[in-house]
Amino acid sequence: MRFARNLIPLAVVLTLGVGVACKKPAPAPAEPTAPAAAPAPDTSDADAQKRADEEAARRKAEADAEAARAAAAAAEMAKQEKFKNDAAAALKDINFEFDKSDIREVDKPKLQAIADFLKAYPEAKIQIAGNCDERGTVEYNLALGERRAHAGQNYLTGLGVDEGRLSSISFGKEKPEVQGHDDQSWLINRNCQFTLQ
Amino acid sequence: MKKLVLGLLFALAPLLSAQAPPNQEVVLSASAGSKLGIALPYPRISGLPEATVTTEFHQVLIKDLEEAGPFAVIQKDLPGGTDAASYKAWADTGTEWLLTTTINRGAGAELEVMIQVVDVMAGQGKNVKAVMSKRYTGKDGALRRIAHKISDDLMARLTGDSGVASTRVVFVKEAGRGIKEIYQVDRDGANAFPLTNFKSLTISPSIAPDGRLAYVTYKGGAPEIWGQRVPGGPQVKLYPPSGKVEGHCFCPSWSPDGKRLALVQSDRRGNTDIVMLDVATGRVRRLTDSNCINTDPSWNPAGTQLAFTSDREGGPQVFLMGDDGSNVRRLTQEGTYNGSPAWSPSGSMIAYVSRFEGKFDLFVYKLGEGKSYQITTGVASSESPSWSPDERRIVFSSGSRGGMQLYTTDLSGNTLRKLINLDGCQSPKWTRSR
Repeated sequence: MRFARNLIPLAVVLTLGVGVACKKPAPAPAEPTAPAAAPAPDTSDADAQKRADEEAARRKAEADAEAARAAAAAAEMAKQEKFKNDAAAALKDINFEFDKSDIREVDKPKLQAIADFLKAYPEAKIQIAGNCDERGTVEYNLALGERRAHAGQNYLTGLGVDEGRLSSISFGKEKPEVQGHDDQSWLINRNCQFTLQ
Repeated sequence: MKKLVLGLLFALAPLLSAQAPPNQEVVLSASAGSKLGIALPYPRISGLPEATVTTEFHQVLIKDLEEAGPFAVIQKDLPGGTDAASYKAWADTGTEWLLTTTINRGAGAELEVMIQVVDVMAGQGKNVKAVMSKRYTGKDGALRRIAHKISDDLMARLTGDSGVASTRVVFVKEAGRGIKEIYQVDRDGANAFPLTNFKSLTISPSIAPDGRLAYVTYKGGAPEIWGQRVPGGPQVKLYPPSGKVEGHCFCPSWSPDGKRLALVQSDRRGNTDIVMLDVATGRVRRLTDSNCINTDPSWNPAGTQLAFTSDREGGPQVFLMGDDGSNVRRLTQEGTYNGSPAWSPSGSMIAYVSRFEGKFDLFVYKLGEGKSYQITTGVASSESPSWSPDERRIVFSSGSRGGMQLYTTDLSGNTLRKLINLDGCQSPKWTRSR
């Protein structure tokens, strides 16, 4: 709806015949501006006719450029959207057994998906955060989270991901993903989380 | 003689497992045999309102003395007078020490508190025996502090060692999801306030003997050691130096001389080692170098040894080593998960936590005996022990279902007390120096 609001002042300016109206175009309008808003040409004056033709040509060129820009922006947005969707699909938590940092068989396809995502997007960098459930001491869990983050990192580099695209951090048991206090919540909170940097 | 007998009694206080469940305060009766009966008639006051004296002094001092350990505060059926003729009546209530107080407030807002302690049992009739006589001064607002000082001086008079009424506890409090800050509170639970305001994850405080803080904060993204280089000074990054990140840093612990920080640093393989930072020079030396977790460094009072947690033999266990990393030996032998060692102020004991049936309890290892004693038992999980400076009590965090609060306990586990009614607290450190 932002474009629609911008169209109104633009149309007013065009009605007044001010040629510089499009010097600073409104951001990527969805459609070319309405030609109906142009002033009626004076046929008795050849110069006026020429000026009007030029004005019309300029407006068309500008409208075409706007359309191209809009198309490019839409393509970029679609690309970004696909990147976001692909990231969301690939960057899933992996989980651990109590006091363990071994990658579980069930999580290996998830790590493969993360590696595939990073191959598809060579610019992407991710941070791997190691987390623990609430059981255990604060300091030991910080160390255990460190070990889990590195386990995730090592597995990904083993799949061919460049180490420079991976960073790690441990939050120990200080930032639980869920607040529950049962086996299911604890399993969710014993994880590596993968986030875009 | 009294001092000697009492000292003996407390030394012999049995270190048995607690009978009372945690979260339930056990009120000892005033007539408990080994305690010294002390009575505090209401102070004579001039120049300030009674309500202020009641809440900021009288109640504060009663609580301090009751919680000090060796005193039983006599509060029932108190006689009217405090002159020599009344001593017999005081003695009949169980009072041994009669503490009389006069508080004056001058025109310039200066306070003067005078106390006198009389042994009413020894001094009946003519031979009045003053145990202690002392004058305290301060500005408005100093009443609580003076009450704490009086309690500590009475403890010193009775036991030879200053009490801990004037001490503080520094701890971590949750301030939002993923946000924790360092706080400080008086030993009696009053005057809690934040020491950091980073709106970030800030944890693991340690207090130097001169009051300087060190802690871990994630305010810059990765965990770093921050704290004070000078007492009362600004809080700055202590480690690692800028632009030289080699793994993450955790769990700083000031040496007893305040010159070194033992801290934990991760390596490229995800292992964590204990390193020693000379704070003035920035020199760092690695003390452990093994393919495992090493964390939780705690100094002995002489500054020559460290207790720490390591999983080098499987699950986490408490180990000891020299401050140069030499002579590593395992301390805890029972249980599959032991950690959070805290060396006692005299050096003779190490408190730690041990996991059993899914929850943690406090234990104390007596180095002289080579034996461990269980301190807490109950449904709640107890973590992060820190000794009181007089070694009579331990402060720790305890709770279930995530609602951790701060408690203190004596070594018998019988007098469990909530330090402050505040949720989301962890990692308390008990100190005389703030």
